[in-house]
Amino acid sequence: MKEKIIDKGHYVDVPVPEGAVVVPAGSRLAVCYTLAGRHAFVLEAGASLDLCLLAFPGECDGLELSVDLVGEGAEASLSGICVCSEGEFPLKVTVRHRVGGCVSTQLFNGIVAGSARTGFDGRIVVAPDAQKTKAFQTNHNLLLGDAARAETRPQLEIYADDVECSHGATIGRLDESAQFYMQSRGIPEKEAKVLQMISFLSPVLEHVPEDRREEIAARIEQTVRSL
Amino acid sequence: MYSMDSMEEKELLQNITQQEYKEGFVTDVEQVYIPKGLNEDIIRMISSLKEEPEWLLEFRLDAFRKWQAMEQPRWGHLDLPEIDYQDIIYYAAPKKDSERPKEIDPALAETFEKLGIPLHEREALAGVVAVDAVFDSVSVKTTFRKALSEKGIIFCSFSEAVREHPDLVRKHLATVVPAGDNYFAALNSAVFSDGSFCYIPKGVKCPMELSSYFRINAAGTGQFERTLIVADEGSQLSYMEGCTAPMRDENQLHAAVVEIIVEKDADVKYSTVQNWYPGDAQGRGGILNLVTKRGLCRGTGSHLSWTQVETGSAITWKYPSTILMGDYSSSEFYSVALTNNRQQADTGTKMVHIGRGTRSRIVSKGISAGRSQNSYRGLVRFNPGAVGARNYSQCDSLLIGSECGAHTFPVIQSRCPSAVVEHEATTSKISEDQLFYCTQRGIPPEDAVGLIVGGYAREVLARLPMEFAMEAGKLLQVSLEGSIG
Repeated sequence: MKEKIIDKGHYVDVPVPEGAVVVPAGSRLAVCYTLAGRHAFVLEAGASLDLCLLAFPGECDGLELSVDLVGEGAEASLSGICVCSEGEFPLKVTVRHRVGGCVSTQLFNGIVAGSARTGFDGRIVVAPDAQKTKAFQTNHNLLLGDAARAETRPQLEIYADDVECSHGATIGRLDESAQFYMQSRGIPEKEAKVLQMISFLSPVLEHVPEDRREEIAARIEQTVRSL
Repeated sequence: MYSMDSMEEKELLQNITQQEYKEGFVTDVEQVYIPKGLNEDIIRMISSLKEEPEWLLEFRLDAFRKWQAMEQPRWGHLDLPEIDYQDIIYYAAPKKDSERPKEIDPALAETFEKLGIPLHEREALAGVVAVDAVFDSVSVKTTFRKALSEKGIIFCSFSEAVREHPDLVRKHLATVVPAGDNYFAALNSAVFSDGSFCYIPKGVKCPMELSSYFRINAAGTGQFERTLIVADEGSQLSYMEGCTAPMRDENQLHAAVVEIIVEKDADVKYSTVQNWYPGDAQGRGGILNLVTKRGLCRGTGSHLSWTQVETGSAITWKYPSTILMGDYSSSEFYSVALTNNRQQADTGTKMVHIGRGTRSRIVSKGISAGRSQNSYRGLVRFNPGAVGARNYSQCDSLLIGSECGAHTFPVIQSRCPSAVVEHEATTSKISEDQLFYCTQRGIPPEDAVGLIVGGYAREVLARLPMEFAMEAGKLLQVSLEGSIG
């Protein structure tokens, strides 16, 4: 049973989630891992969070992430790679700018293959008076396979005026002209597809901490090949 | 960098928000009412007043029963006041002069003249427009009917269409918006009064713009019009819709249904300039505009284009949508929604791709000022058969003043691997650089804001038919006056 939505059309000051991981003022937290379940982060003044999520087939079945920016000058960079070949993978990301002068960026790229269903539910809420907020969100999806399904809901809720916010979302297929280019130069079809999928996911790779980048790049290649 | 001090800002804000709603007058004309309230007897009464056939009464009653079992939707990003459906008069019509039943009451003619809607068949400067003028619950006049009928085009009020072309109406009514589609569509199906009916036969290009003008006059009433447009194979039509209402302290309900059927290779362009009374600066009164508009691109290669400029209404809840069923059919949605003071708008579109190679494009521009809330809500959906379908959506929001809100709630669903969809949205305030550039050249800040907003909305305004584009441009200026912050 879906919970009933009652939207009153104005700002609701939802309390900060209990049990959230607090990133103290001025400190930095960088994490990169496979998460599942519910996670919450609270960023104090000047704190920064660099979070990179990885979801490979069969490893997790959905995630709910919330990030609250409660101190001025906090910065959150959220990114994620999601490769699914079966089952459902709902990803819910809520970023709340409770005070002004914070920056948040999001980049989530997903490949949906086989019979998988993914749902990206991303929400940015900018509270009244949270001026000078910058919030950006991007979600790209590649849909491979006739039984696959992708859904994306990038949402912006903005109650302050001096802000810069944007979101972008796409659902599409492998670019045919790029495929043709590679094939006409002797790269086999399968290999061309793998290359393009890797290049599709690689912008997220830049957010992975350097010491783990190689390991994860290898993981991505292995996963993409198995699709 | 240029920045206004707070006093200056306040003053400007006040000037703009105090702009008058010039269509807010009331016409003093004798009217026929039915009693307040909503039940099966009232529906029978409406139906008999309109001398409707049995099947239509059955349709109404069926819709009413569906409505009773439904609940008012609450998912909109709106603070919707409680509506007492028993406290509304569902039918009000100006009294006909029994001695001159064929002629239009001079007071009504004058009203429409004042609103700039020509009921005389004279050529306007900008071109010829045929008008169906609806006053409260009835259509008072439809112009150019003869000239149109020579081409086989049927353009008349809905009630007349029921009498004169019952087969056509019966064949198409509720095929796009079923009676039980949603709460307000069900309510409309039960109590709808008048509206326009339009049929363009095969291969005919409509020689003039057709338009409907809706006017609410009576107090304590609601307007529930129904428009049905059928464009047969290879035909072409440009349709416009306008509306205004008097200024009152109470909310008035407007729940309309518009259905458009586009056959093979036909092309329909539907433009709306919505200027219902928005309520005063404190948020008292205004129209609750809760409408369902939907088009069905049934045939191969059919095309439907929506253009809307929304400046009025206390609350707007409206999602003109297209079902792209025919292969290679296409649709566009261009919208400017401006909210000021305490207005609330939750508007957008739905594009449902069913056929192969279907294409759609969404361009939505929201402008919020004062203490208003402006939301874009949309759906783009690709069904498994929508091979090679394509959508591009762009939603921009402009914020003027720190107390308003701008929101974007798009939903994108794809079940077709060869379909491609792109969505982007941005939110920002009027750039200080642009404002500085203008003021530095001697343009007062208020005019500068108008200029910038005009430029921002241009992409959409350029899509409107000429006479509408001018009106819409002016309307944006008026609605914005005093909102700079």
